[in-house]
Amino acid sequence: MTSPDDALPGDGPPGADLPEGADLIAGDDERDGTDSVDGVSLEELGDYLDRGREPRDPRIEGSPACRLALQALESVGDLSRESFEREAAREPHRDDAWISGLLDQVRREVVEGRPVPVHSPDPLTELSTSEAAVRGLLRRVGDEVDGVVVRSTELDGAIDEPGAPVTVRVTVSARYGLPIDELADQLRDLLGAALDQHTELRVVAVDVHVDDVHLGPDDGSTP
Amino acid sequence: MICTKHGAAGAAAASHREVDISSPDAPAELSDATLALRAGDGDTVAFEAVARRHGPLMRVLASRLLGTDAEADDVVQEAFLTAWRRLPDLDEPERLRNWLMRIATNKAIDRLRARHDHDDVDEHERAASPAGAPDRVVEHRLQLDAVWRAVDLLPVDQRRCWLLREIAGWSYADIGEALGLTTSTVRGQLARARRFVLGEMEAWR
Repeated sequence: MTSPDDALPGDGPPGADLPEGADLIAGDDERDGTDSVDGVSLEELGDYLDRGREPRDPRIEGSPACRLALQALESVGDLSRESFEREAAREPHRDDAWISGLLDQVRREVVEGRPVPVHSPDPLTELSTSEAAVRGLLRRVGDEVDGVVVRSTELDGAIDEPGAPVTVRVTVSARYGLPIDELADQLRDLLGAALDQHTELRVVAVDVHVDDVHLGPDDGSTP
Repeated sequence: MICTKHGAAGAAAASHREVDISSPDAPAELSDATLALRAGDGDTVAFEAVARRHGPLMRVLASRLLGTDAEADDVVQEAFLTAWRRLPDLDEPERLRNWLMRIATNKAIDRLRARHDHDDVDEHERAASPAGAPDRVVEHRLQLDAVWRAVDLLPVDQRRCWLLREIAGWSYADIGEALGLTTSTVRGQLARARRFVLGEMEAWR
């Protein structure tokens, strides 16, 4: 570690030939930790950068050479991340094998939740489905409303007891620009009707919470 | 618990293949946060979209950390299983990507620790560098090649520090803990790695 005043001969003031600052730093590995840019060691510079340049260090920010060096460090980090992204995107379509294996395992682990009574044609037979299946139904029915993507669902109440009051909560994302109130009304109607048709739940309320918006497929960009 | 009997209603609710997120807002268009919430809600289709979106980068990182592709596959698989189990409790769904990278990195680190060595596999199976330079490529593409190669050439501890810092975004303290190094060693290793990578980029220029 050098003292701040201890500028090395090669470090000199930044000249016109240092557009990216890389040559302020780059060099023989043997010199590691002992050389510096305007009296600031490379370790300090890296540390400072990794702290997000906070709190502001006037000794570093006041030195054009240090600022250039920081810029070089930052850009090499960006390039590195980008090279990894590119490598990832390059992966051949090997995905399908591991993804199908993964999904098989995941499907075996779906948490079914509580049993939910469903209509039986024969009054002497009790039928039930799972909470997970009912929540899947809510997602599917909700998605069918144009401009709605269901984000999460909840069945609040003693759903495994026939006749117990149940409150349904769904959180959705709405396509940008659509009237939220109308969407919510539509959802309440459809979800209530679907549960009536498929289950014996006594739904006392369907709470619709719109907590996100997304762009439609024609809006030209992803959310 | 599934249907005790295949009544029409039960079948409709239980056996329909889970959601082809049917609105025109297809999974590819959905935000990470929405996919994360949905997967946490139990939607395996959303989970598949998550795996496709983020799996490749997790795999590249794991493969660079571990030095083997075969183990990287296992790491990614394990990471996604863990993710599936924990998704319902994910507090910040918009940070899905970082969260997944963290899980995958932790899995890779566990394996490194179990290995108790620093360089055996690493030197054996260094993945082939991507593509020699074709005739006509843009400068940026060459820069990416150069940085990729430079990281690959780093000594193993420097490379791991670099990957955990620059790719996974870990703090010095976390990196030190994961690799069994002091924070100041991590700082030094990173400084060396940075000098080396910049040097390689300079050489290329």
